[in-house]
Amino acid sequence: MAEKTKNQVVTAVSILFFLTICIWIWVKKPVDYSDSERRELAQLPELSWDTAISGELMEEFDSYSVDQFPMRDAFRSLKAFFVFDVLRQRDNNGIYLKDGYASKLEYPIQESSLDRAADRFSYLYDKYLAGTESRVYFSIIPDKNYFLAAESGYPALDYDLLMDRMKEKTEFMTYIDLTETLTLQNYYRTDTHWRQETLIPAAKKLAAGMDVELTGEYEVKTLDQPFYGVYCGQAALPIEPDTLAYLTNEILETCVVYDYENDRTCPVYDMEKAYGKDPYEMFLSGSLPLVTITNPVAETDRELILFRDSFGSSMAPLLVSGYRKITLVDIRYLHPDLLERYIEFDGQDVLFLYSTLVLNHSETLK
Amino acid sequence: MLFSSISFLYYFLPVALVLYFAVPGRFKNTILLLVSLVFYAWGEPKYILLMLVSILVGFFAGILIGHCAGQSRAKQILILAAGIHLLLLAFFKYGNFLITNWNAVTQSSVPLLQVALPIGISFYTFQILSYEIDVYRGKVPAQRNLISLAAYVAMFPQLIAGPIVRYADMERELAARTLSTENFALGIRRFVLGLSKKILLANVLGELCDTFQASGDKSVLFYWLFALSYTLQIYFDFSGYSDMAIGLGRILGFRFEENFNYPYMAKSITEFWRRWHISLGSFFRDYVYIPLGGNRVSKARWFFNILVVWMLTGLWHGASWNFVFWGLFFAVFLMAEKIWLSKHLEKSRILCHVYVMLTVIVSFVIFYGTDFGEVRDCLGGMMGFLGIPFVSKEFLYYLKSYGIVLLLGMAGATPLPQMVTKKLKESLRGEKAVNILEPVALIGLLLLNTAYLVDSSFNPFLYFRF
Repeated sequence: MAEKTKNQVVTAVSILFFLTICIWIWVKKPVDYSDSERRELAQLPELSWDTAISGELMEEFDSYSVDQFPMRDAFRSLKAFFVFDVLRQRDNNGIYLKDGYASKLEYPIQESSLDRAADRFSYLYDKYLAGTESRVYFSIIPDKNYFLAAESGYPALDYDLLMDRMKEKTEFMTYIDLTETLTLQNYYRTDTHWRQETLIPAAKKLAAGMDVELTGEYEVKTLDQPFYGVYCGQAALPIEPDTLAYLTNEILETCVVYDYENDRTCPVYDMEKAYGKDPYEMFLSGSLPLVTITNPVAETDRELILFRDSFGSSMAPLLVSGYRKITLVDIRYLHPDLLERYIEFDGQDVLFLYSTLVLNHSETLK
Repeated sequence: MLFSSISFLYYFLPVALVLYFAVPGRFKNTILLLVSLVFYAWGEPKYILLMLVSILVGFFAGILIGHCAGQSRAKQILILAAGIHLLLLAFFKYGNFLITNWNAVTQSSVPLLQVALPIGISFYTFQILSYEIDVYRGKVPAQRNLISLAAYVAMFPQLIAGPIVRYADMERELAARTLSTENFALGIRRFVLGLSKKILLANVLGELCDTFQASGDKSVLFYWLFALSYTLQIYFDFSGYSDMAIGLGRILGFRFEENFNYPYMAKSITEFWRRWHISLGSFFRDYVYIPLGGNRVSKARWFFNILVVWMLTGLWHGASWNFVFWGLFFAVFLMAEKIWLSKHLEKSRILCHVYVMLTVIVSFVIFYGTDFGEVRDCLGGMMGFLGIPFVSKEFLYYLKSYGIVLLLGMAGATPLPQMVTKKLKESLRGEKAVNILEPVALIGLLLLNTAYLVDSSFNPFLYFRF
């Protein structure tokens, strides 16, 4: 009798469960964008004979069904909780939490990627810089794992090997070592990037390496909203948000930033972006292929060409006081061959400033 | 379509079940066939015609064989029909394998066929073959209703990854079956269990295997961790799928035979194969091994029969010499056991398990490899021949990270959970607790599986390759 009742209960509960989810799926309106994952969500695919026969329709529908599932974030949190707290796994989708910091496992070393990055830099050097009076520098920004992973028992890159290999392959550049000026506290707890308000020693180290003197004091300003870095969404667990601060002064406020892609001028700190989907994009308006910062009150004629990734966006403003003009080039979005249309290489300082994350995944470099 | 996908769980399955239960009994096979065709077309729209052709050949061959029963013509029709099925299988599954080998032997350059492997072709071809042979043998009458036969072949629970369900076992249920809350409850329970095996264990262990492959810090123990993880992954992947198929079949009123019976508890390789992929083993036994004479022949012929069956078993799993080697690897152990090994193994229970697990783990390393070089490297790594350290940091990290999953996997591959539940049910209070907790656990597992699915993209079943 108990067995029969149990079977009835199991049947009823299962039907109710599936019915509830099905109704929920049908009534839920599709969402375009996931703030926590910072990506566009798949939408209901359009039905067509060609896409159905090729199987594309079904693949797109599968993505749609997952992306638009009701309470997607809550389900992702449930999984993360189960992974960390029940199975006691040490990372979830490669994201781990340690001492209040969230980070993504980054290993092993992709030697072919390092070689490719070095090749791209060599190509730029040979094409534009060899034989000119430009002084060419190179600096590697260690990612957060440099300070967090190995000492916490997580697999980590062999950073010494990475840096030695890059230095060996780029002997035409003068290397500036930033590792001694950085600690874990220089990075956001919830994001990949470094905190600009802590970077003055690193900026001074770069400037000293390039024989440039930085001047002026900064005022620290903080956004009046919490900063949920990229790992908040990826970890899918409640993590205390960061605060996003930036350094400003009169020089930076008078600087003119020109964005070649959109043919517009913009401020050094883009407040529209600061309150947008990725607040870190407030630094020089985020991912742009070619940007110049002109310092109208500069006491020098020196110019800097900065080949950089997103870490460079928050570092460049701190180097402004030493230059009349800084040109930031992101060769992830602009092919090096096109540079001659915009830049005349004639004796400027040139700094290649790249994070280990980009060097280890240099397939993005054009 | 994958069982372990949101589209199956919350779109296809509810609609299919509502339609199936809503129509009167005489239309149930029609609905079952229609939803099964949608299910197949979802993953393999181009090859649905191929399956329908195979079904039609099987249908008419069955009728003609039945019509000519006892005459030599029946045999000719059977050979013709089986030939068509096997040719289709050979073309789509083994065509490029044959061409590659032909090119290698003759130094020619015959171009490869530009065809993909149709999902489930190995399974539905064997099912149709079993039907035709059983009609020829007079074990079952020919099915005169095309929809019933098509529903049997295309039935979505077992269409693309088995188990290989014999027509003889389904004949009665195809005509009339019982739908009840008991069947539904037992079915959904089995389905959720299988889903959990696939998503919570097999997929997670699969991540560990992928991580090992990508690792630049391999060590002897890391190789062993990989081999163990893959051995558990493949068991939970395939037995999980079988559980889901059996569960779905039960909900629909069908009773499929068990396909796994704790194979890692076996005390010999002979016993292992009585517990692993039972439906495939019994298919080869009944339709290849026994017709070849089985063991009632001279010793030399007996061993020849074993070699043929295991070479075919290997080839069934994939068109590659690795799989042939894998099948023959087992044949060697099976023959050794039949000659002398069994007597020695009987002396120690522990030794038996160690022997079986070592053999099985090594066999799955062979199974995993895409070529002999990879197998050689992996076995060399496990034996410490690659000049790598015995232990590495990454190994320690992943051992810690996956420790509980591995323990759960090892316990779940034994009858321990079943024994604990049975023990609990022996007392009245325990039985009450189990009865109350079961629906809660079921919903909890469904939510958890859904969470894993929502968090990740879908993972194809390992056995879809076959």
